[in-house]
Amino acid sequence: MRIFIFAFQTAFKNLWIEKWINFLTVLSISIGLFILSVFGVMTLNMDEVLKRWAKSFGLVVYINDDLSIQKENTLKAGFEKDPDIIGVKYISKDQAIKDLRNIMGKESSILEGFDENPLPSSFELKLQSDLLMPDLVRAKALQIKEIEGVEEVQYGEKWLSSLNTITEIMKISALFLGSITFTAIVFVTYSTIKIFFYRRKDEIETLKLLGATRTFIRFPFLLEGLFLGIAGGIISSVGLFGIYSLITLKVPEFMPSVKAIIVSLPLSVYFIIPPAGAVMSFIGSLIAVGKIRY
Amino acid sequence: MIEFSRVTKYYDQEIVLKDITISIDKAEMVFLAGPSGAGKTTLLKLIYCAERPDEGKIVVAGWDVRTLKQRTIPFLRRNLGVVFQDFRLLKNKTVFDNIALALRIHDMHPAEIKEDVYEVLEDVKLAHKAQTYPPHLSGGEQQRVVIARAMVAKPTVLLADEPTGNLDSDTSFNIMNLFRDINTRGTTVMIATHNEGLFQGSGSRVIHLKENEIDMETVG
Repeated sequence: MRIFIFAFQTAFKNLWIEKWINFLTVLSISIGLFILSVFGVMTLNMDEVLKRWAKSFGLVVYINDDLSIQKENTLKAGFEKDPDIIGVKYISKDQAIKDLRNIMGKESSILEGFDENPLPSSFELKLQSDLLMPDLVRAKALQIKEIEGVEEVQYGEKWLSSLNTITEIMKISALFLGSITFTAIVFVTYSTIKIFFYRRKDEIETLKLLGATRTFIRFPFLLEGLFLGIAGGIISSVGLFGIYSLITLKVPEFMPSVKAIIVSLPLSVYFIIPPAGAVMSFIGSLIAVGKIRY
Repeated sequence: MIEFSRVTKYYDQEIVLKDITISIDKAEMVFLAGPSGAGKTTLLKLIYCAERPDEGKIVVAGWDVRTLKQRTIPFLRRNLGVVFQDFRLLKNKTVFDNIALALRIHDMHPAEIKEDVYEVLEDVKLAHKAQTYPPHLSGGEQQRVVIARAMVAKPTVLLADEPTGNLDSDTSFNIMNLFRDINTRGTTVMIATHNEGLFQGSGSRVIHLKENEIDMETVG
């Protein structure tokens, strides 16, 4: 236990002695973590936008004109029983033309030229959110189209596909950026600890000759790495909090549309960054001191 | 306490110790004499495991040095006090901290460390320099700090490599008295020196090394 207290004291002392190189290391770690967290926040916002959009996503099922009311009811009951479908809304021919007139406004007069209502009756179906993948939606649409009485099934296929692609790109980019940041932070800490190690080579040699164990020699270095990561993480968290608060509070004043795509960031995000930095830099220092030969 | 049995050591292809057999008893004071390059430092290094023998067997305080695992070396070294030729004092630590380091390694309580360090500083008459940094001490004072560090953990064996190498005769005399004091308390003391004046009239055993092997044994 006393060895650990001594290691803490030694680590803090050395952090102060090597303050400039430590400052630069902390700065590098905080920049890396900040970039990573900004990208993470962007992905989080994108995900939120997708979730919001998913709530309004629906399949429009047009039914044959000659279908009897009884058969329409059978169709509706079938949709309601389907576990993939969470909402069923019936739109009659009359309702459809009425809605179209509302949408067209003044230009709705062109609809007067029709002798009879050209629009079919339809069902608007809302799917489970975990089904909102292009392939799954397409399969569901084909399955519904096969049902007797269904004339056509429409949905925003291209839109869904584009959003899906964007989400995939964001996820891959986050993974890529995460890997790069991870490697960079590990490398920065590794280099710093290695420099410290070489600067204290004589001291380490003396400690060895006096009978110090590997743990006694390595522990202060590992702690130094850990502190650098935590400090970098804290600075990054504070920076993220400041900039995110600025964006959520100030930007909507002159760009109101931003408000729709910004989600409030969970507090846990700010608390995750310092331990993440600590883990990364601890790994870096572990590699650096792991190569120390006794 | 220290047993060398037909020990040979090479550096690359060059032989530095040849067929050394020595036996040193507990609480004995032994001098290792010989000119520079005779192999005195290497012999001491073999005892504290800074080097390993290429041939032969070494047993120190019951530990077989040749088969000792790397991670066990610290525990052997804790039984030994070493006065290095180049002092190996940490310039950025005070005299107190330099000596205390040897006890911190033993995971001792800070209060005990303080007590033991001041006790040993009294022995070497440097208590008033406890908060001084080594670069501000004279050569003799630095040497006494190194001796204090070597003896503070009360080792069973004290090894000294040219302990009076750069010191004037008065300081050398005082330092030798210190070693005699340590020896009378039951510590085995082994001093490597090329200075014959150190062991003449001492009554201690002197092992003479010449051209990397034992030349003769005399009594000083």
